[in-house]
Amino acid sequence: MRSPEAIVCAGLGRRFGERDALAGLDLAVQVGETVLVTGPNGAGKTTLLRILATVLRPSFGRVAVAGHELPARAADVRREVGYAGHDPLAYPDLTASENLELYAALYAVPEARVAEELDRVGLDGRRGDRAAELSRGMLQRLALARVGLHRPSIVLLDEPTAGLDADGRDVLRRFLAEPGRTVVVATHEPEWFGSLGGRVVAMTSGRLAA
Amino acid sequence: MTHTARLDRATAATLAAAALMAAAVALIFFYVPSDVDQGYSQRIFYFHVPIALTTYTLFAWGAVNAARYLWTGREDLDLKSYVPMHLGVIFGSLTLVTGSIWAHISWGTWWDWGSRELNTFLIIFLFYCAYFMLRFSVEPGARRSRYSAVYALLGVGLIPLSVLAVRIAQDALHPVVFRSNGVNMDGSMFFTFCVALAAMLSLALSMYLVEMRGKRLDERLAQLRRLAREAA
Amino acid sequence: MSARALRALVRKDLLVELRGREVVPSMAVFVGAAFVLFRFGLGGTDLAGGTRAATGMLWVAIVFTALVGLSRSFAHEREGRTWDGLLAAPVDRALFWAARTCSTFLFLAAVQAVALPAFWLFFLQEHAGPSYPVLIAAVLLADVGIACLGSLLAGLASSLRAREVLLPALYLPFSIPLVLTAVRVTTDTIPPQTGGFDTLGRLGFLALYDTVFALLGWALFEYVVED
Repeated sequence: MRSPEAIVCAGLGRRFGERDALAGLDLAVQVGETVLVTGPNGAGKTTLLRILATVLRPSFGRVAVAGHELPARAADVRREVGYAGHDPLAYPDLTASENLELYAALYAVPEARVAEELDRVGLDGRRGDRAAELSRGMLQRLALARVGLHRPSIVLLDEPTAGLDADGRDVLRRFLAEPGRTVVVATHEPEWFGSLGGRVVAMTSGRLAA
Repeated sequence: MTHTARLDRATAATLAAAALMAAAVALIFFYVPSDVDQGYSQRIFYFHVPIALTTYTLFAWGAVNAARYLWTGREDLDLKSYVPMHLGVIFGSLTLVTGSIWAHISWGTWWDWGSRELNTFLIIFLFYCAYFMLRFSVEPGARRSRYSAVYALLGVGLIPLSVLAVRIAQDALHPVVFRSNGVNMDGSMFFTFCVALAAMLSLALSMYLVEMRGKRLDERLAQLRRLAREAA
Repeated sequence: MSARALRALVRKDLLVELRGREVVPSMAVFVGAAFVLFRFGLGGTDLAGGTRAATGMLWVAIVFTALVGLSRSFAHEREGRTWDGLLAAPVDRALFWAARTCSTFLFLAAVQAVALPAFWLFFLQEHAGPSYPVLIAAVLLADVGIACLGSLLAGLASSLRAREVLLPALYLPFSIPLVLTAVRVTTDTIPPQTGGFDTLGRLGFLALYDTVFALLGWALFEYVVED
């Protein structure tokens, strides 16, 4: 049975050494909902996204994504989730399309999707350029193309507007507007996302701000 | 409640170790007959071999708990894996020292590169020293526990391979001249050996229990400090 | 396990190396310099210790060269922080280990293709040629073992601050049984010595070594990368 919530966190925590980056977070995200997570640097936004993306294990508390408990069912979650981290997660020595071909193979999607996605984010003219030669905004677009490759039902974006120009923002807006998608965005400019009708959630020191 | 129970267990093991050790020393020096070939000094065998076997037992124990840690993720198993390894290195050093003394007495050299047992042990000892380096270069936490457990389990692969490699590398190259003595033991020798082994094992056990208690206290103290800091 | 994903990961490593040229040239220079150093160390004109010393030195050099390469394993994943992208993908973690093992093996074999002839030239040129099938089998089997264990330990060390000093300390105890055996096999390939049946047994040992660490690497790598 699938729960109607795309994401459920209950008392979720993550410890780094002596410090709790997340300290008992409660959050539920409905299927199809867009949630904007805001908060000062060090509030735990990135830690939260990394746990939801299954790249970081929770230290305590409960978390379920797409109805699967983490970390036990991480393998089931990974197909459902697309994650664009704070860093572009691209190999600088590989070209834009080589980077995506690697991920196409990892996600077992047809190689033809690579060209489609590069088109969609407006990078079709730069597909043969090495990632090292792309600007920060271009790398953000490349990250969006990577996230879209396997058509995830849940999308996690960490500061996606950073360094993005006006055209890039249009790409991002179109990406987020695709129906049926659950989106969690960590951002410092929630007002920009306002038109998308997202719910704003504020975090401080590893918890939801009261 | 559990605390007193643990206290009793550690005390009991220490008492048993003390009694057995006294008995073993008495047997070794006053009861067991001297070896026909090697004479009085062969008595170090009753220290060396039980210490070596205890070392292996400690390493095996550490590895079993490492596997259990990776399997279950239970935090207490990390310490239960680390403490035997730590004691294993102490007993391992003693094995090398007693082995070297024995080699000097019976073969006239401090270290014999033709001895399979000594050489195998040396490889394994190096491995466990590296385990310590690893352990001390990672900050305490889940990652350190995982890395230590992974490395400890690699040792399970290394030990039989070292035994085998030392054996097959030497067969053609260097015929084994020295065989470990005491293979043919009479009843009194075997009895002494068993008591000495029991003494070493119970010594290791009591050290384990005492150290575990110390580590648990350390942890509790760290926890209290954290709570105090948070409250302040 | 997905063959396509494995292929893609190995291709990634090879492309990065081809364009960045970070690992293989350094390994080649290192092994060459090590040969020269050992040659002078063992005596410039007269080779002290004969073929035994030379083959022993060869394998010590190979192990250290492998360590030079291994220290850059996962460097891109760490420095470019691409681990998060790989770890979020729906593939078994062991696949990352398998891919790194393959590329390490290829790098090692590439360096040896140059280093072994150089070795013969520097140390054994007055000898007749070795028994090639046995020598190649021994080298490749040893490379597999080095790569299997090395990529696991490199993954472990890569996230630690002291990685450069720690990796050799973690790896070297494991290289002892490998070197012990490989030296014997290599010595036996040089005429007139022949190991015969013993050689076969020692090759078998190398294969066993590979199997043990392939299984352990496969099983344990997920505990190394997950955080």
